[in-house]
Amino acid sequence: MSISPLPGDASNDPTEDQTGRFVRQPNGRVRPLSPHLQVWRFHLTMAGSILNRIAAGALSFGTLFVVAWLGSAAFGSDAYARFASIMGSPLGLLVWFGLSLAGAYHLTAGIRHMIWDAGSGLTPKTATNLTIVSMVAAVVIVAVFWAALFMTGRVVL
Amino acid sequence: MSLGTRSYIKGVKVSERHGAGEWMQERLSSLILIPLTLWGLWSGWVLSGAGYDDAMEWFRSPVNATLLAVTLLVSLWHMNMGAKVIVDDYIHKPVSRNTLVGLIGLVCVLLAAAGVFFIVRLALGSAPLPAGLGA
Repeated sequence: MSISPLPGDASNDPTEDQTGRFVRQPNGRVRPLSPHLQVWRFHLTMAGSILNRIAAGALSFGTLFVVAWLGSAAFGSDAYARFASIMGSPLGLLVWFGLSLAGAYHLTAGIRHMIWDAGSGLTPKTATNLTIVSMVAAVVIVAVFWAALFMTGRVVL
Repeated sequence: MSLGTRSYIKGVKVSERHGAGEWMQERLSSLILIPLTLWGLWSGWVLSGAGYDDAMEWFRSPVNATLLAVTLLVSLWHMNMGAKVIVDDYIHKPVSRNTLVGLIGLVCVLLAAAGVFFIVRLALGSAPLPAGLGA
C-alpha cells in the first residue's frame, strides 16, 4: 500500500513532479528523494540529525588517526615519540578535541536514536527535549574530560 | 522473495529485500559500541601524556588488546554501513554510487587489516617494525 499524494497537487504528485524531488527506486516504485540540507526549515531535531551525520563523518577520519597511532606504536619508540609530539601540538590537540566532541555527540545522539527506535520519545516535544539532552550531555562529557586532562597535567599546551 | 510478494506483520509491511537486515545490523553495532566508546574514552584518559613504555605495557594487557581490536572492527563495520547510507542518500547515479560504496568498503577493510596487524604485534610484544625488512 503506497500513500498517494493529494490529487491535483502537482508539488506532491510524483508523476507530475519536475523538481527532481522524487526518484524511481530499483524496485520500480517512485519515492521521495532523501532531503538535502537546504530544503529543511530549521528545527532542533533536524539540526541534531545533521550534526550527528557530521560527527559520523569526522569520526570516520578519526579512524585514520587511530590506525596511524597504532602504526606509530608498532614502528618503535622514535616513531611513537614523533607521532605524540605532532598530536600534542596545539593543532593536534585541536584535532583530538574535535574528535572527542564528535565521539561524545555521536554516542549521546545514538542513544537518543535507540530510544526512538524502541518507539519512545517520538512526540515533537519529547524528541526536541531528547535532542537538547544529547547535545548538553556531549558538551559536558567533553568539557569535563579535557578540563581533567589539563588539570592533571596529562595534556599541556 | 519475488518483488511482487508483500507480507505484513501487525499491519506493518515486511522488508522485501535486505533493508530490515541492514537496519538490525546498524542497531546491533550501535549497541555494542555504547560500552566500547566509554571504554575508549577511559583508555584515551589513561594513555594521554603517557610515554612509549607505558603505552607498550598497556598494549600487552590481553584485555586492552582484545577490547581495542573489537572496538576498531565494530567501529569500521558501523562506519561502513553509515557511509553507505550517506552515499545511498545523496548519490543517485548507479555507477558513481557503486564505485563510491566499493571504495569506502575497501578503505574500511584496509584499515581493519592494518589495525589488527599492529594490535597483534603490540600485544605479543613483537620487535618494532620494520623488523627483518632491511632494518
